[in-house]
Amino acid sequence: MHTLIRTEVLKLRTVRSPWLLLGAVPLLVIAGISGLVMSNPGKLADPGTQANALAHVGIAALFTLAFGILAVAGEYRHKTITDSYLTTPGRGQVVGAKLVGYAVFGALAGLVASGAGLGVAAAWWSAKGVPFAWGNSAMWTTIGGGIAANAAFAAIGVGVGALIRNLVGAIAIALAWVAVVEGIVGQLVGNLARWLPFSASQALGGGDGRDTLATHLLPRLGGGAVLAVYTALFAVAAIATSVRRDVA
Amino acid sequence: MNATITVPAITVHRLTKRYGTVTAVDALTFDVAPGLVTAFLGPNGAGKTTTLRMLLGLVTPTEGEALIGGRRYADLANPRRTVGAVLEATGFHPGRTGRDHLRVIAQGAGLDAKGVTAALDRVNLTAAADRRVRGYSLGMRQRLGLAAALLGDPQVLILDEPANGLDPAGIAELRDLLRGLAAEGRTILMSSHVLSEVAQTVDQVIIIAAGRLRRAGPLTDLTAAGETLESAFLSVTR
Repeated sequence: MHTLIRTEVLKLRTVRSPWLLLGAVPLLVIAGISGLVMSNPGKLADPGTQANALAHVGIAALFTLAFGILAVAGEYRHKTITDSYLTTPGRGQVVGAKLVGYAVFGALAGLVASGAGLGVAAAWWSAKGVPFAWGNSAMWTTIGGGIAANAAFAAIGVGVGALIRNLVGAIAIALAWVAVVEGIVGQLVGNLARWLPFSASQALGGGDGRDTLATHLLPRLGGGAVLAVYTALFAVAAIATSVRRDVA
Repeated sequence: MNATITVPAITVHRLTKRYGTVTAVDALTFDVAPGLVTAFLGPNGAGKTTTLRMLLGLVTPTEGEALIGGRRYADLANPRRTVGAVLEATGFHPGRTGRDHLRVIAQGAGLDAKGVTAALDRVNLTAAADRRVRGYSLGMRQRLGLAAALLGDPQVLILDEPANGLDPAGIAELRDLLRGLAAEGRTILMSSHVLSEVAQTVDQVIIIAAGRLRRAGPLTDLTAAGETLESAFLSVTR
């Protein structure tokens, strides 16, 4: 397994496209925090605003989702999956290594984004003459949840890519789910909506205002647990389908 | 004769693959002996690629078995050291260099990284090794695929249309390479449509059509009556 994870890292190191997605994570966080500050300059002293600013770390999980999709669907697109399975006929191990490796990279992207976000937020607060409360515990739990969401969505992306395999289709379906479909399904199922994956990730990585949303979200740890269950389900489905399907 | 087979050979027994109502490969049985170059011939859609992919564990047979040295590909202890495969010349990330493509395989298979340089030299790709595959010609991609197959110094080579896209010099090099590898006692199974080339390279011929075996035996038997391989092939597959 160790060799397989190192091989996944080497695959990533030798191409550029995944790094554009991972690099977008801190950029989105920096832009999101700057936008929040510029549109709400009077609210910086509110205790919840710091958490709301750093909640952009969790939102950036959209990019780690696409990054994870690229792990498997990208290999099908370029047909490098053939060589991967010729080298390691135990396909479950190949997909397992991707799940672990990409989750770690997702967490690292969230970590880097958190550092960048904290730096940018502290600079904005200082520029506006408002003290930045480094001991704000809601901010730190938001950051922790955001990093966990980045890791989970990278692994879920691996699962989506293994299930759908067509790169464009997989990314389109994943983004459509997050942007539109989950909202519609949520309206149909009423109060059960908070158990859906994107709502769970908002509960996990959301900021101070997350409980004032139209759907009542789960508590942070509850959201994390639900997202962990979805991650495990996608992982199992990814391995089960990859082992069975023909590579033609 | 010792019962232990030191050089793995290929055994295909009643191998069948059905996709819905379509039978792509139909109870196909043949053996491939070591020390020879064996051609695997058939018209388009005859089931050649599906058969080779079943041998390599990429496609699961509906019935029957396809074994290398008596084992399924998935059960080989060191698949890259046992079998080298060249499939379609498209299995590369366009943004990865040829050298890095081989490094990924070497790392995954636990092979010495020094072998990468040797494999690149062997297929005359060293000059282009550090360019991204995006800029490779079809012939260069074939060479890279061949380098990947040779990386583990395997006893068995399975090649699907390896001459496709090669220039005349490349075809001559491929012929010499395959003849040399066979002379070392390795097992070589190669599909091809270029019958004039096949006639110069191979010892044994397996011909299939519509998923079924039509002919298997020495090339010299097939052309014994003074026929060309082409006319023999056309009459066998008609």
